[in-house]
Amino acid sequence: MSNVHERLRRLLFLVPYVSKHPGVTVEALARALNISHEDLLEELDLLTCVGRPPFNPDDYIDIYVDNDRVYVDLDQRLFAPPRLTAGEAAALAASAELLRPAAGDALQSALQKLERILPPSTRERYREMYRKIDASTEAPQALAPLTRSIIERLEVTFNYARPGGPPEPRRVRPYELLSHRGQWYLQGFDHMRQDARLFRLDRMEDITVTDTPFLPPPDARADVPNPARSRTEVSVRVRFSPVAAPYVKERFGRDARPLADGGVEVLVAGDSERWLTQWVLSFGGEAQVVEPESARAAVARAARASVGL
Amino acid sequence: MERTERILDLVALLLDAREPISWAELREHFPADYGGSDDAAERKFERDKAELVELGFPLTYVQGDDERRDGYIVDRDAYYLPEADLSKEELAVLYAAGSAALASGAFPGRDDLAHALRKIGFFAGESLPTPRVRMELGSVQEGEEKEVSARLEQLWDACAARKWVELTYASPKHPGTTQRRVDPYGLALRRGAWTLVGHCHLRGGLRTFHVHRIRELKVNTARPRTPDFQVPAGFELDAHVAYFPWQHRFHEPVEVVLRLSGALASRAASLLPGATLEPVEEGVVRARMRVSFLDGLVRFCLQLGPDCRVEGPQSAQARLKEMATRILERHADPHEKVSA
Repeated sequence: MSNVHERLRRLLFLVPYVSKHPGVTVEALARALNISHEDLLEELDLLTCVGRPPFNPDDYIDIYVDNDRVYVDLDQRLFAPPRLTAGEAAALAASAELLRPAAGDALQSALQKLERILPPSTRERYREMYRKIDASTEAPQALAPLTRSIIERLEVTFNYARPGGPPEPRRVRPYELLSHRGQWYLQGFDHMRQDARLFRLDRMEDITVTDTPFLPPPDARADVPNPARSRTEVSVRVRFSPVAAPYVKERFGRDARPLADGGVEVLVAGDSERWLTQWVLSFGGEAQVVEPESARAAVARAARASVGL
Repeated sequence: MERTERILDLVALLLDAREPISWAELREHFPADYGGSDDAAERKFERDKAELVELGFPLTYVQGDDERRDGYIVDRDAYYLPEADLSKEELAVLYAAGSAALASGAFPGRDDLAHALRKIGFFAGESLPTPRVRMELGSVQEGEEKEVSARLEQLWDACAARKWVELTYASPKHPGTTQRRVDPYGLALRRGAWTLVGHCHLRGGLRTFHVHRIRELKVNTARPRTPDFQVPAGFELDAHVAYFPWQHRFHEPVEVVLRLSGALASRAASLLPGATLEPVEEGVVRARMRVSFLDGLVRFCLQLGPDCRVEGPQSAQARLKEMATRILERHADPHEKVSA
């Protein structure tokens, strides 16, 4: 899109915004528009030249900064922003798919309300554009109750699958949802472990939003560990064939060391034997643990078990 | 007069007008802009009009009659954003999803999305919810985020305007790159990677392209308001992109039967969405599924471990054994004989 288009969209929002929030600070206005302080002052300068013919003094937009606050005295009928365009509504609806609009929940009703306020002439175009982005299959059903519990700050309970045993009941204060490489995680305070933990959504069953409120910490933020960047006592050296190398390079970037035969080598954390064996096996023979010997033996055991030996 | 300023003046003029405004009047009001030859002035106004329409400005031309003269008018009610009456919960969920998409740095239509979020927040007052949802693509390496983000934006515009694109593509299956002309039909997000689906002129059929593997991208700039192609009726993005590795269309689909036990049995539905599940006995589930990339499924089975068994067909069992043997060969104790 052209700069003129972007600028017009911004300015047609700016005037109504100030009209609705008289005395908004320059800083808050710049933040609302996602532009720099300097760019905002430039936009305000331009707006003082805007008006309608015959361009008498009262025909101009009267917008000004006083003591670092912005006011508009004459908005020339720009008291509300334009309706959503088909593209804006489509992008919003497509992003909303990230949290799956399950029938009857807040997202579904929000999208219906949005469509109702689109100009009738753009609804068909909106539906056409909406179909051009598909992010829906990334979203597990569990997102609906978990999003609600985060927004309403209510604890959740669920059964969490674990290897080699029955699912464990958990009670968690949900802080944040995180999607990493298409895998969804919940970060929250686990009452059982008395610590913050990351939970995979695809391992949760029977999620219930309780009526127990909690106050989330202001800085709760978790990262999914990168196995090539984690510091553990034992590191494992894994070598990949030239066939697998391009995919491994895509994931690990500079952490994938090129080899003479066209393959690559990655040094990963060795603290979870289960993760390591599953990961190596998922390459179906295109990955090989070089060292340590204990990790090689673990992969061999897992491969034997998979064919019933 | 600067174009931005002129278009805003037009907005102010038309929003205030009680009567249609004729072309002759517009020329009088903006002599410096719409002066000159008739043709040049008309072309300039046509471009401004197109911009107004793209902004969602409901501008129409009315033919006059006894009571009204010819000219341009604006339906004011159709211009102003009305309150959508979103509940606090609805607003919060839209904000959470939209903000996560924006913050990810790579969502098609980012500019559109940013404006949409501003607009739906317009009536919300000071109590806009703080979203606690994040999205990290993971398929994009450090330093490449901006490039992928810019390409998604270009592709979104090309999809919306139905203009063909020319791309340089690096497939991990082949060395080097290929040049393609593609009619972009849409973009799908699968496992943190964006996929472009479209008609590839080089291969003469529908193809998918990972956006992070596009090295160069150009959108056809000729006749920007005239579409270059039609998307076939009934086209669905989901029918052409794989979520799980065994859904890639590498061969004719075959039915594979898996037996899941132990901890996997209760997770069968989330592990293998779309599979037909039947209980075999207490704690054991049988899954039947259509597979168009057998190696993808076999590798997944190996990853799941011994609680996942391949019951058939024989070719799938053989392939699993073959891969397991290869893994054993590569991890053999030098003093032991390898067999699987």
